[in-house]
Amino acid sequence: MNIYEVFLHTDGKDEFRHVGALEAPDDELALLLARECYVRRGEGDELWLVDRRHVVVGSRQLLAPNQDKPHRRSDGAAIAEHRRRVRAASDAPGGGTG
Amino acid sequence: MPTRLDLSPAGREVVLAFADDEHLIGARHTAWIGRGPFLEEDLAFCSIAQDEIGHAIALYELLVDDVDDVDHLALLRDPADYRSCWLVELPCAGWADALARHQLYDSAEALRWEALANSAIPELSAVAARARREEAFHLAHARGLVTRLLDSGGEGRNTLVDAIERLLPTAVALWEPVAGERAAINEGVVATSSADLGERWWTEIAALLATHGVAVDRPSPVAGQRGRTARSEHFAGLQAEIRLVIDLDPDARW
Repeated sequence: MNIYEVFLHTDGKDEFRHVGALEAPDDELALLLARECYVRRGEGDELWLVDRRHVVVGSRQLLAPNQDKPHRRSDGAAIAEHRRRVRAASDAPGGGTG
Repeated sequence: MPTRLDLSPAGREVVLAFADDEHLIGARHTAWIGRGPFLEEDLAFCSIAQDEIGHAIALYELLVDDVDDVDHLALLRDPADYRSCWLVELPCAGWADALARHQLYDSAEALRWEALANSAIPELSAVAARARREEAFHLAHARGLVTRLLDSGGEGRNTLVDAIERLLPTAVALWEPVAGERAAINEGVVATSSADLGERWWTEIAALLATHGVAVDRPSPVAGQRGRTARSEHFAGLQAEIRLVIDLDPDARW
């Protein structure tokens, strides 16, 4: 039996989303089983199945060095944290007046 | 809501026989909830069971004055008033038997929907058109599993071939028509006779098996189902099961 990762597309502007996995002997049966297991209530209008053996997997070691680089984040979290620290320092008793 | 079709007694019998078969095969399939050979097949098979019961409801609704009467018609008749075939009454407690029946029954079911899709009665052909879209997947599902097991050789193949051969005489008897089928055909209720559908069914089944190296002779149908008025020994237990809830309160409204 092969394991397939199941992706569904639900409406025009959304991307395909991973919804689960299933076990099947081959592609054709996998599609039939996916239909009954994941889309029987009309959960999607398009279906992708990806044989798990075809998924290229990145290791944790590959990703680990980038886990601690907040300066590369674009969400403003680093600057917000910096400003919070400055504000806390200036509010503290005996703190500077800026 | 009035739903009852204006059918002759003969026409009603033809529709009732198909509805009863769909109802009881669905009920029997549900015995596999939580017991399928693997999780995905468990879900798929029970989804198909639900579809079959849905087909039965769609047909029963055309036979009652009010949709609320469907439960009574489906569950509370005297056994002699059912028109089911014995194939759908069988427990099929082993997976090979359940799968063999799934193939034998659904091949027949697809042909029966086709005959009903050509009905002169618009409500019947509409129900049939909708059911046929689902039935195509049921058949692909049955065929998908059956052909893979037949090609697998070894124990899987042997067990399935044995189940098919054992069930065939009961399956052939599915084509026993209700009394008055000829009149129903003349009225346009259904387009094709059971005998003609049975011929096509056998050709399909024999070809499917032959393609995978299984030679079978056309069996004689098991005796005792003339006019579909007699129930098999397994019916009483099945009816007791499907009545479990309604017997608690026959007048409950859902």
